[in-house]
Amino acid sequence: MATSFITAHPFGDAYAARAGALPAVAWLESLRRFARAEIAGGLPGAQVEEWRFTPLTQLAKIGFIPAASADDVDVTAVPLDVPVVPGAVRVVLVNGVYRADLSDSLDGLDLRTLRDAVSSSKDMESAVGRVAPLSLPMVALNTAFMEDGLVIAVRGSVTRPVHIISIGAAGSSPVAFHPRVVITTEPGASLSIVETHIGLPGQPFLANPVTEVFVAEDAAVRRFVSVTEEGDAYHLATTVASVASRGTFEAFHMGLGGHKAEGTTRQEIHVVVNGEGTKVNVSGAYAIAGTMHHDFTTVINHRVGGSASRQVFKGVLDGRSHGVYQGRLRVAPDAQKTDARQVHKALFLAHGPAVDCKPELEIDADDVQCAHGAATGALDSDQLFYMAARGIDPETARALLVEGFLAEAIAEIGDESVRVVFAAQMAAWLQRRGGAS
Amino acid sequence: MALLKIKNLHANVAGKEILKGISLTINAGEMHAIMGPNGTGKSTLSNVIAGRDGYEVTSGEVLLDDNNLLAMSADERARAGVFLAFQYPVEIPGVSTSNFLKTALNAKRRAAGLPEIDAMEFLKLVKAKTKALGIPDDIIKRQLNVGFSGGEKKRAEVLQMTLLEPRIAILDETDSGLDIDALKVVADGVNNLRSADRGFLVITHYQRLLNYIVPDHVHVMSGGRIVASGGKELALTLEAEGYAKYQAA
Ligand SMILES: Nc1ncnc2c1ncn2[C@@H]1O[C@H](COP(=O)(O)OP(=O)(O)OP(=O)(O)O)[C@@H](O)[C@H]1O
Ligand SMILES: [Mg+2]
Repeated sequence: MATSFITAHPFGDAYAARAGALPAVAWLESLRRFARAEIAGGLPGAQVEEWRFTPLTQLAKIGFIPAASADDVDVTAVPLDVPVVPGAVRVVLVNGVYRADLSDSLDGLDLRTLRDAVSSSKDMESAVGRVAPLSLPMVALNTAFMEDGLVIAVRGSVTRPVHIISIGAAGSSPVAFHPRVVITTEPGASLSIVETHIGLPGQPFLANPVTEVFVAEDAAVRRFVSVTEEGDAYHLATTVASVASRGTFEAFHMGLGGHKAEGTTRQEIHVVVNGEGTKVNVSGAYAIAGTMHHDFTTVINHRVGGSASRQVFKGVLDGRSHGVYQGRLRVAPDAQKTDARQVHKALFLAHGPAVDCKPELEIDADDVQCAHGAATGALDSDQLFYMAARGIDPETARALLVEGFLAEAIAEIGDESVRVVFAAQMAAWLQRRGGAS
Repeated sequence: MALLKIKNLHANVAGKEILKGISLTINAGEMHAIMGPNGTGKSTLSNVIAGRDGYEVTSGEVLLDDNNLLAMSADERARAGVFLAFQYPVEIPGVSTSNFLKTALNAKRRAAGLPEIDAMEFLKLVKAKTKALGIPDDIIKRQLNVGFSGGEKKRAEVLQMTLLEPRIAILDETDSGLDIDALKVVADGVNNLRSADRGFLVITHYQRLLNYIVPDHVHVMSGGRIVASGGKELALTLEAEGYAKYQAA
């Protein structure tokens, strides 16, 4: 089906010639060659099932250059509206490249830049690309051109959360960048990570981050990601996590887009359950307006039984925005006693938005509990009247109802201080929107 | 002094005439009760007064303190002092009862030119009111009406009424489905609020409630009209004889 891939795209030889580099180690060069071959096969268009609702047709027409080759980008500070996560180590990436001058000191932490790690550590060969397969187009693109990122190797329990702030900014040309974050844990170790992805106004950019997470036995990784989009940027992010016995992987992803947003965000999360007694929660919320497109794609693969996974997704859509939820649950033939749940609910604040919701349950074991729920609707007129009958004006009533609607998803954020930060960002979105309908 | 004046009110629901000329005056300080068979338009009347969408007033007037209620939006009417205790209170997931009550109270205070009440003061006020009503105060931490039992929902309505101190309170079957303790909570709540400048319109199917909150006037509604009015003894007659004589007419 070569026709369903878009072979005319900006990520060819000319792009490669200008791309930033990682130290030239043999294993990496070889991995990159495979990735480049995948990319030469094309970017996914509307006929590729996994990309049916988010085809990259428009993106393929934009003349992106590697961010490293743009010499007119100048970011000298972290914008003030980036939230402060109490007690966290701040790590700042600008266009995917670590910025020591804007970051807290990494001394004494199990944290290195990808550049350092690749040149100084032999382990990287087995870590990079271990769980994120090149068959995923955005992983292939990232692998072909990644030039920096972070490697977090957690021993024991990291008490300070890590806050990654990723800033995208283009100069006079559209830019693309491809950071890679690799998180590994030793048995019993635990880590909390918060990510704030923002863009500065200007030409469009493509953020193409890939995050690989290895959760060892009895280890726990909790990751809270927020992506805010006001312009026409692309944020195509892929996370692949592998979870061993009794491991915990909790992820919460938030996507926000204002009424001027016209970009595309896709947050794709794959979790492979490789042991019994694991706890997996992949949840999220999105609030979008304008002509923004937001896609949550999840694949939870229960290869081994006796584990639970849970997904709660909620979306609020205004303007002529478009939401996508694709949730695939795979339960392998002998993965008995699996308990998997997924919910996606969307709320429309106008007549313009649309949602595509595609649950896919592939269950090959018989002793399994799987539940899926989906609903799409407008604000409830009985609820609005009830509020009005208590003297609450329509604007405030709508804001309360929307906040209430999202609360069910926000409640999935297990960390209280992060929950407060995310809820505040969400509330700010609602306020900016002004409750207008 | 006439507090609420309803004059020859006609209203359609879904193109069908349900209210067929209701006239009723409630003076400040008075307690009125409306009784009548199912489906005669009692809830329709209360919804029209409260300003719910989907009810088309074809003729007539509703005045509160001589102001035209029908020209106001539902939230304006509420801030002007109309309170409707719902026959079926609505569940609102994700919104805490306390946040809802505080928002409603402050909307009312702003409209009256009063300063907003802060979180601490509000908590103190609610604690005092719940205590006076004998309602457990943890109710305000719960999501609004979500998972409340039938009785808890009605008690919560009375708590809201007590906090918002309306000029005219309409209670639509607030007594239905209540056990005797809950009924007393509702009755106490109403009696505590009774005052010379406040009016009540109580819709009920049962004399039982009227033993506790003794009405000044009782009306029988049938077929979208008020077909009989009398004193508190009318409720007793209705309880004994039913509505047959009014429906035949
Ligand atoms: N939204 C609506 N759409 C269609 N018909 C309606 C609607 N609301 C009320 N009606 C009709 O109007 C009539 C009066 O209903 P209403 O609820 O006012 O009666 P009621 O006197 O309160 O009855 P009950 O004692 O059972 O509470 C009924 O025939 C009802 O079916
Ligand atoms: Mg009724």
